[in-house]
Amino acid sequence: MSQAVLAGFVTAAAVPTFAAGFLSAPVGVAHYLVVGAVLFTAGVVCMVVKRNALGVLMGIELVLNGANVNFVAFSSPDLRGGGPPALGLDGQAIALFVILLAAAEAAVALAITLNFYNNHATVDVDRADELKG
Amino acid sequence: MEPASQLPTLLGLAWLAPLLSFVAILFFGPRMGHHGRNAAWVATAAIVVSLVLSLTALGTWLAAHPVVAVEHGGHASADAGHGDGHGAAGHGEGHAAGHAAGHDGHGAGRGPHAYAGDWYTLYQGGSLRLSIGWYIDALTVLMFVVVTFIATCIHVYASGYMHDELHDVTDHEVHLSSGGHLHRPGRFPRFFQALSLFCFSMLGIVIAGNLAMVFIFWELVGICSWFLIGFYYERKSASTAANKAFIVNRVGDFGMLIGLMALWGGLGTLHFADVAAAGGSRPGLFSLVRPAAAGHALQVPDGMVAFAAADEVARIAADRTLDPGGVDAEIAGRVVDWRSRGYGRWLLFIAGVGIFCGCVGKSAQFPLFVWLPDAMEGPTPVSALVHSATMVAAGVYLVGRFYPVLTPDVLLVIAVVGAITLFIAATIALVANDIKRVLAYSTVSQLGYMMLALGVGGWAAGLFHLVTHAFFKSLLFLCSGSVIHACHTNDMRKMGGLARVMPWTAGTMLVGCLAIIGAGVPFVVGLSGYYSKDAILAQALSFSRANPAWSVLFYAVAGGAFLTAFYMFRLWFMTFAGHPRDHHVADHAHESPRVMVAPLVVLSVLAVVAGWTLPGGFGLPNLLEQARPSGTEATAIGGFVFGQVTVPAEHESHEGAIHVIATLTAFCTAAAGVLLAAAMYLWRVVSPETVAAMFRPLYSFLAHRWWFDELYDAIFVQPVLGISRLASGVDRGVIDRIIDGVAWTARQLAGLDAWIDRTIVDGLVNATASATWTAGMEMKKLQTGRLRQYVMFIVIGTVALFVLASMLFRSAHAG
Amino acid sequence: MMGDAAIAVMAAGAVGQGGMPFGSPLLAAVNWQAAFFMLFAALACACAVAVVLADNVVRMAFYLVLSLGATAGLFFLAGADFIGAMQLMIYVGGTLVLLVFGVMLTAQAPFVAIKPSSGDKVLAGMVGAALLAVLLQAAFRVEAWRRPAAAAAEPVAAAPSATPLGMALLGIRVDEPPAGAVGTRGGYLLPFEIVSVHLLVVLVGAAYLARAKRRRTPRAIDAAASMVSPQERVGVAGGVPAAGGRR
Repeated sequence: MSQAVLAGFVTAAAVPTFAAGFLSAPVGVAHYLVVGAVLFTAGVVCMVVKRNALGVLMGIELVLNGANVNFVAFSSPDLRGGGPPALGLDGQAIALFVILLAAAEAAVALAITLNFYNNHATVDVDRADELKG
Repeated sequence: MEPASQLPTLLGLAWLAPLLSFVAILFFGPRMGHHGRNAAWVATAAIVVSLVLSLTALGTWLAAHPVVAVEHGGHASADAGHGDGHGAAGHGEGHAAGHAAGHDGHGAGRGPHAYAGDWYTLYQGGSLRLSIGWYIDALTVLMFVVVTFIATCIHVYASGYMHDELHDVTDHEVHLSSGGHLHRPGRFPRFFQALSLFCFSMLGIVIAGNLAMVFIFWELVGICSWFLIGFYYERKSASTAANKAFIVNRVGDFGMLIGLMALWGGLGTLHFADVAAAGGSRPGLFSLVRPAAAGHALQVPDGMVAFAAADEVARIAADRTLDPGGVDAEIAGRVVDWRSRGYGRWLLFIAGVGIFCGCVGKSAQFPLFVWLPDAMEGPTPVSALVHSATMVAAGVYLVGRFYPVLTPDVLLVIAVVGAITLFIAATIALVANDIKRVLAYSTVSQLGYMMLALGVGGWAAGLFHLVTHAFFKSLLFLCSGSVIHACHTNDMRKMGGLARVMPWTAGTMLVGCLAIIGAGVPFVVGLSGYYSKDAILAQALSFSRANPAWSVLFYAVAGGAFLTAFYMFRLWFMTFAGHPRDHHVADHAHESPRVMVAPLVVLSVLAVVAGWTLPGGFGLPNLLEQARPSGTEATAIGGFVFGQVTVPAEHESHEGAIHVIATLTAFCTAAAGVLLAAAMYLWRVVSPETVAAMFRPLYSFLAHRWWFDELYDAIFVQPVLGISRLASGVDRGVIDRIIDGVAWTARQLAGLDAWIDRTIVDGLVNATASATWTAGMEMKKLQTGRLRQYVMFIVIGTVALFVLASMLFRSAHAG
Repeated sequence: MMGDAAIAVMAAGAVGQGGMPFGSPLLAAVNWQAAFFMLFAALACACAVAVVLADNVVRMAFYLVLSLGATAGLFFLAGADFIGAMQLMIYVGGTLVLLVFGVMLTAQAPFVAIKPSSGDKVLAGMVGAALLAVLLQAAFRVEAWRRPAAAAAEPVAAAPSATPLGMALLGIRVDEPPAGAVGTRGGYLLPFEIVSVHLLVVLVGAAYLARAKRRRTPRAIDAAASMVSPQERVGVAGGVPAAGGRR
């Protein structure tokens, strides 16, 4: 709970900053990229930090989402300053596929996690060090 | 078939038959019957085959060269159609296919008939030709018959005498370190194997057509003698005696090699007779030394003269005014002059003395006689065959064969050596107590007789005595063997009165003793030894008359006859007459089995009749005359080393005065000797012990065999041992130390190398490996297996790559 | 595009005959696209950060749901309406539900809030900051990405993106190629089919992987023994925590 509060404060501090910069101007690709970067970074840090296997999976979802945001940003005709979008329909198609594959991957990952849990009675990824060299 | 091809075939086969027996027994001996007892049959069969073939050869010879009575001044053989028509018919390769290559100098129809040829050429280089070939004359055929006949008798005798070897033997003369006696299996086949090889070798010497072949078989005979003397090799005395025999023989052979070298160097050939070669025949030794052109008189051959005058020859060759053909002509012209000035005579002298040295060793002459008494360590059949009748006779035979090449100086040397030997051996035999020792010294003495005879010009006399001696000496040895077999001791002092118990042995031995002393009715009839001794005495007297300075030789012969008679009858009386001195021996004494007595009887018959000449003229002396070398029937005058020497012709000794004196001398000396022996040992009128005590120093000197063994030990053996000790000391102390030092150094270096290898090289390798291992172990720590860490690394890597890429592509599109 | 158009419609409707949206001059001055973007973006980022910062896995799941929902809104704003819808349906509705199920299955007391060490957090924070810095720096590099063209102030007639996407998935491209595009402009039929098979395989594989084991495995027992009381051992092998309630 305290973390959520902390998150709220961080964002509340960040929002005016962004607001001041961006509210005055139309939104461009860069803004989307920033969101995507944040999502991506959050996902990575989540993967690194979380000891719960499901937490790691969530991190993976965040990463994929960050990438999707980037793809969609590049495919949008509105956001680009001059000229057609870089990817167009291709970007959306790619994002679609990413979503599909993310779903598949999540299913498999969950199956692995459940299997791991059945065998080891724990979802702590730090306990899964049998491949230690 | 003509004798020229038949004789080589017959004698060649007779020569090889014992070799076949040797090979057969060598490979199959132990399997021939129980314990190999049939080996005796095989060997005897082979030697009987040889005897038959030899007799056939004798018959063939006599058919072609009938023996007629000797006319003084004439020649013994009537030509039966073998004129001067036989030319060189080429030599043959291979067995018995040899054709007669040439006849020895026919000259004016007075030369001996001899057939010579080669079976197989071993080596031909330049002028030297080493080949296996034959030289067959009456002497060859006669020697074949004698050798094979005696060998047959002895083979039969030995098959009985050696029966101890058919089962395990306990040798009482060998003391083991554990205290007991040696117990060993019997060696019956090996005896006959060695005996067969010996017969083969001896016949090889007899048939040899060149000196190289003689030398080969000379050595082979020496080896066989070594085998046979050392038959009981576990006995130290026997093995030492065998070594002594061989080494002493080798000393003589050294001189023989020098003689061979002188002949080859000077003459370029070692063949006795002429050899057929491309472009005419190449002359042999006899033709070179006694050329037909000079009437077969002995002269230094051209080759030796030129060899000796080498500096003159070189001077002529260097003379540039002459061409090569002219050089040869000039040399040929000057040779006669050089010969007259004496060039080359030393070479011929050395050649003759050198060959004689070999005979000194083989025939146990002074100073190389010390081996023969020790050779009695061998079994008695060996003593009978090898060391009385055949091998020791080979030396005399070679002197007889080589006679044409011997100058008067050489003959004088031979005579003197023979005289010395004769005397020394006879005196030692006077006091010997071992029955075989007495016979051994008697053999040495008789060989001295033969050498003396040959040296004073009695070529036929010496060889005649050789043949008769072979018969009666082998008879004496076999009889002594029979006695030893019965008494189990050699010591005559333990014998006595055996005539009652062993009548056959006593009787045949008496015949032998009478034969050796030359008993007979003067001018009427006698045993074989009578005639041969008579001939020797006559020739010695003739020689001493011709050379008064050397009349001591005649007195030596006469004195030798006296001593011979004395010691031989001393032997007989001590053994067979009187009362038994040792009852232990007398109780066990018994007559020998028939297989041993039969040869005794046969040989005693021959000992009686061998000297007789049949009315038609057939007899040993006349047979020998057929083989007389050309040129030797005349008186020879020459000599430069010891002054002039006259070697009288042999037929002159048959003249009345000399003959009468010689016969009477022989009879008187023999009678005196027998009487003295009877007085001392039969009638006991004079006591041997008293005489010995009276002449104590002399007796001791003789009993110790003139201290010859000790002398040789001091002069030769001890220095050699000293040198060998020194050498061994140097080897151990110096050379071994050096080698050990080198080895030590090598080991140290090896240790150093090993250390380097272990520490540095291996260390390097191990360090590399351990570094790799450590690096791997350290890097392994990266693999923690922890997921979060992997993700972290991915991210860090990605960030780093981005930074790197952005730095590298800074100039990339901006905006 | 649709977002702008929607907002433009809303604005136009709101403005009505007077041109004033509900009669407020404030509403007309605001760039509603940017405002909505800010809203959704802030929500997405905040919830993403919350996912990272939360310790309780259940709360993490909830924040993730919110974040992905906000992302869907961002998609709508960018004109990828079909993608946005798919995001909501598949991602939020399917994947996340699945995730929540998994959380529920394994959310036992010991595992609910496992905290990493502080060192790990600091290190992760540094790494994340570095990554963020790199990405942000890259985002602002290209000038053309900063602001849209001036013509974007006008709303453009929006067309739903489902049809062109669907046609493309069947292999037929109906959208206009961008100027200067090189290469063939093929459809996505093959990837479509592959993904279909892929999903099937994933289904089968996941079902197999997560099947119930027949017998107990010692490791499960040993691992559980250290954390769970002996009485609770019975239900571990089945994969379903039987006595999950006993604390």
